[in-house]
Amino acid sequence: MQCKEVEVVLERDGFVPVPEAARDHLSGCSSCRNLIADLTAIVATAHLLPAEVEPPARVWTSLRLQLEEEGIIRSAATRSGWLNFLEFFRPRVWATAAVGLLIVAAAALQFQRPTTQPIEARAYENIYENTSLTLNNDEAHLPAMQLAGNSSMDVSLRQNLDIVDKFIVDCEQRVKEQPQDELTRDYLSGAYQQKAELISAMMDRGGSGN
Amino acid sequence: MIGRGMLPVLGAGVLLLPSPPVQAAPQHFERHFAVKGRPVVILQNVANGRIEVKSSKNSEVVVVATQASNKIGVVAEQAEERIDVTATILDNSAPANELEANFTLTVPEETELQLKSQTGLVYVEQVMGDMTLQSVAGDIHLKEVSGYIVVRTTGGSLVCTQCAGKLNFNSISGNAQVLQPGLSSVTLFTMSGNILFDGEFIRTGIYTMKSGKGTVEVHFSGNDSFDLNAQTATGTVDNQAEALLRPDSHGVRHIASRFTKGLFGTVGSGLAKVELSSYSGTIRILKRD
Repeated sequence: MQCKEVEVVLERDGFVPVPEAARDHLSGCSSCRNLIADLTAIVATAHLLPAEVEPPARVWTSLRLQLEEEGIIRSAATRSGWLNFLEFFRPRVWATAAVGLLIVAAAALQFQRPTTQPIEARAYENIYENTSLTLNNDEAHLPAMQLAGNSSMDVSLRQNLDIVDKFIVDCEQRVKEQPQDELTRDYLSGAYQQKAELISAMMDRGGSGN
Repeated sequence: MIGRGMLPVLGAGVLLLPSPPVQAAPQHFERHFAVKGRPVVILQNVANGRIEVKSSKNSEVVVVATQASNKIGVVAEQAEERIDVTATILDNSAPANELEANFTLTVPEETELQLKSQTGLVYVEQVMGDMTLQSVAGDIHLKEVSGYIVVRTTGGSLVCTQCAGKLNFNSISGNAQVLQPGLSSVTLFTMSGNILFDGEFIRTGIYTMKSGKGTVEVHFSGNDSFDLNAQTATGTVDNQAEALLRPDSHGVRHIASRFTKGLFGTVGSGLAKVELSSYSGTIRILKRD
């Protein structure tokens, strides 16, 4: 069995317990074991949230695509070609993964029963506050050279970070006023994700000195 | 008359004189890689500069790089059908104008591309194959390309002319222009840029275009057939094609959220699905002349 086939089996049969058909392959493939570990951690974190219903499969599918896109997990098809790129993205993993988890949590909350609306609103508030704090903390730790650099790259990254920050402030304000506004919540989640990616890119750049 | 004993002193003095700045010599790099089928070309340009990709009928990948100086290292290697090209900065203290590398790739018509650039333009023309194109500040221009096209930029804009297949664009401040497309799936998201879609909606196609603060503008033809859902939180919807929009014809009664402004409607038989949204910008819907 190949890695790609394992992914198909996991998508079809789930990963708790690991399907019989995939076990042999997993014993000799650290990459697929890591995939299972990542998925397990995500599920464990999602279960910590109170009174949720199971999010639909499309949430996991979109999360998997996002994780692949960020280089956190790899699909068999792109694995060999992106090995060098993965090293480039390595320091980004944790920031984007953290935000990814929080976004999953937010997505899971969307499927709660209507009777839980006040709890839902509070839960959203907590998730957004935590995400915002995490990202602001990361932003505060950006390398000094990145914040002072004059290259067109540095300037562009800073300008875009400023755009994201202002947009987040705007959306957060509206979500506070209208916690049930799903469209704004979507935009806010997207903005957090973009900020996480941007900060990671800036940290990488500061670290490499390019 | 200068005495013999003075010569070493003068010699040393000449060596210590300030010399005019040495102009960094441009470097030329060229490699040819024979391929059999559909190659995968991966290019990562950490330096500044432009990447241009064109196709030819030949079964080879030609990589040509022009470097502003020897402060940039270019490496290209082949593993069967995979060609990896990387430009790295060898001297971080070098001035910006010496850290530029421009690439021209000539590839077979059916080629998969994975390109990563910093500030220069990425231009791809007449290539068929899946492609992932990333840029921080550089624009990305695609002409007559087809496949599953993924574009990620921070501030760079996308212009996609006569593209076919599927397109996924994500940016913070970049604009997206999709012109005369033959795309069956389009997902565009930009936080502050503008979006323009000018072309046909393929029947059964799904089109999602979202801008946080920018304008989302769609030009469609009277022959198109699509269901439309346009939503904005604090922006406006400018529907200049009201005469062509009818209530949803599929029996689904859409109710707009009380927190948003928007419209639902159908053009023709409503075969394609078009979803437009902007948080605070304008959504404009026009019929082409």
